[in-house]
Amino acid sequence: MDEKVPRSEIIETEIPLGTVHPAALEPYRVRLFVEDEIVQEAEITIGVNHRGVERIMEGLPVEKANALTEKICGICSNAHIWNSCRTAELGLGIEIPERAKFIRVIMGELERLHSHFLYLAHGCEVLSHETFSMRVFYMREIVMELLAMIGGNRVQYGCSVLGGVRPRCDLDEAKLLRLKNDMDALEEGLTGFVDRFMADSILLSRVTGIGVLPQNQAIELAVTGPTLRATGVARDLRTTMFEYDDFDFNVITQPDGDVKSNLVMRALESFESIKIIRQAIANIPEGKVVNRDWEMFDTDISESYIEVPRGTLYHSYALESGRVRHSIIRTPSMANIGAMQYACIGDQITDAQLCIVQCDPCFTCTDRAIEIIRR
Amino acid sequence: MLENTIINSVIAVIATVLVCFIISTFLPGIERKYIHARIQQRIGPKVVAPGIMAPIKFMFKENVEVSSPVPGLYKSLPIICFIVVLCIFLALTPEAYMIPALASLVAIVGFLKVEEICYVLMGALSKSVMSVNMPFPDQIKGAVHNNATRSFIEDISAKRSLRMITYGSFPLYLALFAPVTAARSVFLKDIVAFQQVNGPFLFTVAGGIAAIVFFIGYMIILNEYPFSIIKAKSDVIEGPYMEYAAKYRAVVVLTRGFFMFTLGAVFSVLFIGVPPTILSWGILVNVAVALIFVFMMGIFSAFSPVFTNRQLLPTILGATLLGILSIVLGLL
Repeated sequence: MDEKVPRSEIIETEIPLGTVHPAALEPYRVRLFVEDEIVQEAEITIGVNHRGVERIMEGLPVEKANALTEKICGICSNAHIWNSCRTAELGLGIEIPERAKFIRVIMGELERLHSHFLYLAHGCEVLSHETFSMRVFYMREIVMELLAMIGGNRVQYGCSVLGGVRPRCDLDEAKLLRLKNDMDALEEGLTGFVDRFMADSILLSRVTGIGVLPQNQAIELAVTGPTLRATGVARDLRTTMFEYDDFDFNVITQPDGDVKSNLVMRALESFESIKIIRQAIANIPEGKVVNRDWEMFDTDISESYIEVPRGTLYHSYALESGRVRHSIIRTPSMANIGAMQYACIGDQITDAQLCIVQCDPCFTCTDRAIEIIRR
Repeated sequence: MLENTIINSVIAVIATVLVCFIISTFLPGIERKYIHARIQQRIGPKVVAPGIMAPIKFMFKENVEVSSPVPGLYKSLPIICFIVVLCIFLALTPEAYMIPALASLVAIVGFLKVEEICYVLMGALSKSVMSVNMPFPDQIKGAVHNNATRSFIEDISAKRSLRMITYGSFPLYLALFAPVTAARSVFLKDIVAFQQVNGPFLFTVAGGIAAIVFFIGYMIILNEYPFSIIKAKSDVIEGPYMEYAAKYRAVVVLTRGFFMFTLGAVFSVLFIGVPPTILSWGILVNVAVALIFVFMMGIFSAFSPVFTNRQLLPTILGATLLGILSIVLGLL
């Protein structure tokens, strides 16, 4: 699997796609250098969706800045506000109630399910298998309703606040019971989907050996998250996060780094998320969900890394008179763009979007970095 | 007397065309509402929406000037395609059997080839904003390969259409000629007469195999999933049809529905021996065949991803071999 088609020195044709393309959920430009429909080189350019979130955060009260981070992404919005709060909490030394930790984990894992299901559905859609795509979207709908039940919205839940979670997101018995029942339904639905997918030889022929990212290349490109784990590297930041200390789960890996490995990877990881949520439901401690007993003071730059559905998310900022300074946010897709470009090489143009999608891009989140060229 | 016969024939042909055309406008809706949507457990569009309401809506849309080096030719191609499909349909009607040059398999194959060539021309003449024309400053940024020719995505579609002409449509043409081996004639009149005496060709071994091959060819020429590589959404998007809007898009939509019906009628004539005519209840067979084909195509396309060249070549090769087998069996 490590062997790729050798790159040619002279390329016949360049085919630029985008920034608007129906197979891409977000705006980006990809230039494919092809010979006889085989991609020899790919270049991805983003930058048409720059919103300057970090710049807007500068000088904002930390609570407002946290709320703003949630707007970075429509899929992993909870991850951003969680990590942003976590950054301040680490800097200020705020203790989080145990119950709040569990609720944050539940929200995090529900968001992972929502993201992975979106990935599977989008993958099937790019394969032009609309039936499977629709079926995954139906399963995702269960998760979206659960997120709405806890956070009040289907996206932008505003769950995490400094010191814990918003009281509206506390889980009573009825909500826990619904969570439990829906996890059963999800597990059944996902099992059925995986069985059907793996039994479909035509579909497997479209995804096996396509978009191969070798392990050494993935490490060299600093790939992160499930895209890295699909190449066989068992690296998951959840194993080091204190929020996950009470949970027993496996770090899923796949050997080949191709589209199939990535799809299977997400499906298996979804089962692990269901497992984590079940543990959280069973063991959620009683008590308050937010700690208001803390004081604001100026801090040096504090950093927080968490494992979000697409990989490692980094937030850092300093606090000065309760306001945010020097905010930096780095999303997983920033690290994975190199992998997307590499994965396209050696495959058909028809598979190029699939190779990009297999790395689960979220360019809208990533599109905050600016390059300053001093002349 | 002769004048009356001619007038009656003309009226019968026009009535047949009108009735079949109206029925054909329901076919895309039936496929999407009752097959795709049911399989995908969703409500789907109204049955009249894709084939009837959409073209009416497109007719009243403001036309966007196409981005093409030869806009006149590009805009005329959907109309040419419609005329070609109409000619195929006319060739199938019993009234056309008086004109052997028209009512023969050679003519039908020729018309189908014109249809296929239109796809190549459409692809070659479309220069949409989706690729090179997108105002994006990537060239000033440089690239690893600066000397590569910049190509529109529709160019890929044109090349693929050309490939489909050279080998992709083999199965359909082989299946079309399979009944000839039984009737020993390329004229539709003889093929129909042979089946009225000896029973439908479909119910022979050679006919059964040829019918399978015909169905594969039917999906290929209609560019339906999984054989929709010339308009694969994952790269070339709409491919040859990309620039068509308003009334031109309406013609494209209407042509597709009518083409679906016409290919069903081709099957009825060649494999069952029932030509489409309003003067006979046999037209119900044509309608039934068109519906069965739409149902089968809908089911196949709902459960298949789009084929790339890796899957397409073996599938076409397999179908071609089956087609050859049916012809050999027919000859034996």
